[in-house]
Amino acid sequence: MSHPRFAAMLRDPQFWVPIAVLAGGLLVLAWIR
Amino acid sequence: MDPLTLDASRLRRLQLAGIACGFAAGAWLGAAEAPTKMVTLGLSPVVISLTMVLGVFLARWSLPALLRGTAAIGADVRQAPHLVVWAVLAGCLWAVANTLTVFAIRDIGLSIAFPLWNANSLLGILWGAVFFNELRGAGWSRRLGVLGGAVLMCVGATLLAIASSAGAAGGHSARGVAAALAAGALWGTMYIPYRKAYLTGMNPLAFVTFFTVGEVGMMTALGLTDRGGLGPLVTELAGARDVLFWLLLGGFVWVVGDLFQQYAAKYIGISRGIPLSNTNQLWGLGWGLLVFGELRGRSAATHSQVIGGSLLMALGAAAIALASATGAEHSRWQEAAEREGSRYGIDPAYVRAALAGQTVGAAHTRRNWLDWTLVAGTTAVFVGFGVMARVPTLAIQWGWVVGLAATMMALLVGTGLLLWRTTRLN
Repeated sequence: MSHPRFAAMLRDPQFWVPIAVLAGGLLVLAWIR
Repeated sequence: MDPLTLDASRLRRLQLAGIACGFAAGAWLGAAEAPTKMVTLGLSPVVISLTMVLGVFLARWSLPALLRGTAAIGADVRQAPHLVVWAVLAGCLWAVANTLTVFAIRDIGLSIAFPLWNANSLLGILWGAVFFNELRGAGWSRRLGVLGGAVLMCVGATLLAIASSAGAAGGHSARGVAAALAAGALWGTMYIPYRKAYLTGMNPLAFVTFFTVGEVGMMTALGLTDRGGLGPLVTELAGARDVLFWLLLGGFVWVVGDLFQQYAAKYIGISRGIPLSNTNQLWGLGWGLLVFGELRGRSAATHSQVIGGSLLMALGAAAIALASATGAEHSRWQEAAEREGSRYGIDPAYVRAALAGQTVGAAHTRRNWLDWTLVAGTTAVFVGFGVMARVPTLAIQWGWVVGLAATMMALLVGTGLLLWRTTRLN
């Protein structure tokens, strides 16, 4: 397992954008259901 | 050819292949939404979505196995294993977005919901420019083409939103519009992992096999939560077994479109690839109006708003498509790719070759027993559910079904051949 690559991913700001949008989408889904 | 060089002729061929992929994606993605009409027959939206995703899962493992082989996919993953996480994350985004679209269709109808979630192209342009150097070095006319097209698409989407407030079913227009727009945000952001993977060098056929793990995992979680556990979920699926084939088929058709979309994202970037793929709006409108008779009985004003809004969005997409990338812009993409390679420690030759539509080293072209097992298993599942299937009791214009399907097949064959000749599906 290439551990440094996964550590780099966690430090990559671009990684957290989809995470935040996913959380927002789940919230909308919970609201409209 | 030296993977370090990318002459103007090669760049043009790659751009042409990418543009053709965008249009083919539109046709197939648009057709895939038609089976969600089943929601009017009383099935839970989440169960519809889960079933489609199961069809997607089967397609995302069998088609790459058939077209490229699992050995080649394994070789790709060994080059950049961290991209598996990105692919799974993108799959989660897709699953939530797809579920939201089913609720949107239920509340405001397919013809109206479709263009609203296709606002994801605006977000794609933003992410492409901010994160991946897209439109950098493109010149003002091309930037204007892309941004002007985006404005046209916004106006079109607004017209459609106005139409939705006049024609929403069940008094849930606000929730339906919210669901469609949220789906657009999720799908627009999903292209960050796509572009990340393709700039780094992963083959689209490898990316989608892990993408679908996220899809199925997230959809199963949503399905279990929505139905209140495994027992009720299985009971509902079993009770709907005679329509499951159509939903599985919808998922399969979606994957064919999505594969073209993946190649479009790879070769023309997300700022152009997404709008082109979003011509699926016109195909969805065509299926809705011609095959299912949507908007029948609505006022002439509503018809004008929906059709005019859709045309404006399509014009915007066309303007974006015509502003293709030049050599100067492509060199900025290469800079972004080198940044990714450096950040994650990827072999520079692998990164550069993939951006040029080539491979480094020997290609894995042979199929093994696992590939044929995946293809045979998927075929058996579809045949099995096909035997059980009944034609839904909807008013369907079969002549239009044949005409639209023939056009889709022509696009599939023509674009597939062009992509093969240009990139060998790299």
